[in-house]
Amino acid sequence: MPRSSRLRSRVIRGAVPIALVAALALSACAAPATPTDPATSEPQSGGTITLGRVASVTSLDLNNEITANNAFAIDKIFEPLISFDSDGVLTPGLADSWEVSEDGLVYTFALHPGVLFSDATPLTAKDVVFSLERHIAVEGPVPLHASISSIEATDDETVTITLAEAYTPFLSEIAQFSNGIFPADFGGKTEEEFFKNPIGTGPFVVDKWDPAGDISFVKNENYWQEGKPYIDALVYKLIPDGTQLLQQLQAGQINAIDEVAEANVEELSNNADVTVTKTGSWVVEQLFLNTQNEYFSDVNVRQAIAHALDREGITAATTFGTAEVANSLIPPTIQYSANDSGFALDYDLDAAKAALAKSAYPNGFSVSLMIASGNSLRAQEAQIVQEALAEIGITVNIESIDLATFRTRFFAYDFDFMINSGQSDSPDPNGLISFQADPEGFSQSYWTHYTNDKVTELMKQGRVTLDGPDREKIYLDIQEILANDVPYIPIFYPSAIKATSSKVHGLVVLPNESIRFQDAWIEQ
Amino acid sequence: MRPPLRWLRRTLFAVVPVVIGVVVAVFFLLRLVPGDPARMILGERATPESVAALREQLGLNKPLLQQLVDFAGTVFLHGDTGNSLIYNVSTRELIVQRAPISLALVGLAVLFSLLIAVTLAVLAARHKDGIIDHVVRVIPTIGQGMPTFWIGLLLIILFAVTLKWFPVGGIGTGPLEPLRSLVLPALAVSLGLIPPLVRSLRSELLEVFSSDFVTTLRAAGIPERRVVFGHILRNASLPTLTLLSVSVSYLIGGTLVVEQVFGINGLGSLLFGAISNRDFPVVQGVALYCALMVVLVSLVLDGLVWLLDPRTRSAS
Repeated sequence: MPRSSRLRSRVIRGAVPIALVAALALSACAAPATPTDPATSEPQSGGTITLGRVASVTSLDLNNEITANNAFAIDKIFEPLISFDSDGVLTPGLADSWEVSEDGLVYTFALHPGVLFSDATPLTAKDVVFSLERHIAVEGPVPLHASISSIEATDDETVTITLAEAYTPFLSEIAQFSNGIFPADFGGKTEEEFFKNPIGTGPFVVDKWDPAGDISFVKNENYWQEGKPYIDALVYKLIPDGTQLLQQLQAGQINAIDEVAEANVEELSNNADVTVTKTGSWVVEQLFLNTQNEYFSDVNVRQAIAHALDREGITAATTFGTAEVANSLIPPTIQYSANDSGFALDYDLDAAKAALAKSAYPNGFSVSLMIASGNSLRAQEAQIVQEALAEIGITVNIESIDLATFRTRFFAYDFDFMINSGQSDSPDPNGLISFQADPEGFSQSYWTHYTNDKVTELMKQGRVTLDGPDREKIYLDIQEILANDVPYIPIFYPSAIKATSSKVHGLVVLPNESIRFQDAWIEQ
Repeated sequence: MRPPLRWLRRTLFAVVPVVIGVVVAVFFLLRLVPGDPARMILGERATPESVAALREQLGLNKPLLQQLVDFAGTVFLHGDTGNSLIYNVSTRELIVQRAPISLALVGLAVLFSLLIAVTLAVLAARHKDGIIDHVVRVIPTIGQGMPTFWIGLLLIILFAVTLKWFPVGGIGTGPLEPLRSLVLPALAVSLGLIPPLVRSLRSELLEVFSSDFVTTLRAAGIPERRVVFGHILRNASLPTLTLLSVSVSYLIGGTLVVEQVFGINGLGSLLFGAISNRDFPVVQGVALYCALMVVLVSLVLDGLVWLLDPRTRSAS
């Protein structure tokens, strides 16, 4: 069974600029939390977790959605054949096991016996075939990229999927929320009816739902994981303001929040009534250089910028020790990360000046750095970049614009360089590489227009090479080329940060930033 | 024609163009600003194909004038501005669902403003040029200088986080909980409104205090309390009422901001989210109903002045 074997445990950066943190932690005078170790105490049943989130759930149609507000409600209701854990390692889901033929073309999944949908009808291979075929038919935003020639129910508990050509990331894509399984023919309802009150195999069932407000779930009494979920109900409460999230949690009005600003982690951690959970994510914060820009088309200029940036300094100053410094495009939570390989260009002002001297613009120039407004972390990053580049004679004007305009601008390549983040949907490196280094893909190397035929060739090999040392070499080579060509500069890997009342235990945070609630329980 | 009808007709002639103007301006302004609702719905990693399909589905590909005609049709035929692009629910439904809490907030803010402003103004006027007068004239001005959201945050830290008298935000459940949740936000909005009310009422009171009819009343031995509250205040309140009616737009605007600070899911949060996401029908809907509300409240207050003050009646 080809399973991803890897993943160095994440290095959690401990020491941070204490002074900065202390300055912010003014009100945090309480003794540090001493939470009971959930592993040593027995889970208790009952209770409700109320999770504050900044955006409401607007649709539950798993095949047609992509954004986190919907995806992380959908994944409570529907489950795919394969799951993954908080390290990004693929684990059994609705399929207990799977086999891949040696040519990488035939995938055979054995379903977990006795799984029931929330309406108590049994899950069969036919439901899997219907679900995946519907997903392929709607051509949704989180698709299966493999060219699939057939999906068959071999018997009630076996599904066979045949590909037209090998595609190694297939298993990790099957684990995405958009490949969740629902009853064949929508259980006899119309699509519209079905997705208003959907039926799945997941741990929770929709109770009440206001698309512009809160959504509440009750536990799925027929859930196949024995005894789970422990909680009776789960509520996603719409609180569209980060400060309010924090304050309502501290005041005990809600007992979990979906996001915590990096600057607030220290203060929250010092609150004995609150537990902060950090998990390495699939997100990469980056500085993107538009290689169609007059100056940035020169690789010497790009290398000069990479040498001029103190990534450790930026990470420490803006994320308060919650993020890991990035040395490569692929984060350690994804297979074949080169984060420890030392490919990234070092912080070295002399090297930066030398590189700029070699370029067509030895005397520097003036460019505009575009960021989305309303994100204080990005604003700080931009200021540090501005100062750092001033050191080598590049004048940076920071252009802070609202998110909708920001998106319109960069989709039109209307920017010099920008700070934004890239994100993978699965633990396979192909996702990030395809999105950020494929000049023919719709994102055209994340709107940098970066084109390198060698990288394109390697990327194509990576998709068809079976997991193993050969595949690892391909991705390490790609990351080395990217580090030297500098179409973008990975700065840090942010953590998925969640906070709960210290009475909530067993919370599992996944690297896609979703929370798994079937293991969570509340100390009564 | 009888005066009330004339007043009504004149007002209508003023109101209708204002409301139509607001709605048309919002329609075009929204579309002039860059930003694509389909992109906001699907996020940054969606393919151009899915974005194009969604734009088609949402009717964003139609010519602008066609969109305006469709929009005007929906407004006049259904009293609605169409389905929200983000939530796929009728805008009117969203507004009806959220309006009560915002209206309650505005109402409470007006109540607080009047209670506090009248008390302070009477105190200041009675002690003209004394310490109380100076304090009343200076302190509220500081409040006026602070932005509403900042006042809101300070109130949360003091009364909700530290003293725990009120919830930090949201609208609780239970019979009295929503009211309790609205106290701090209403106070935050009213603090910006109180200073001009106090100033206007104070100077007006001083003027009336020294007018002949007051001297006559006092000479006739009418108790001071009745003189102040029964006669002076009634006469002095008219310009303040007019000022309040002018401030209604400020009040509604302030409420929209404060809702965001206090995590109240009213019209303000709805509008804020809709603007960020370029949810055109919802922004247009909230603008339409807010314009109507501003106009309506001004009308009611004008009517009140008309009832209280016989002079306005004879003038028209």
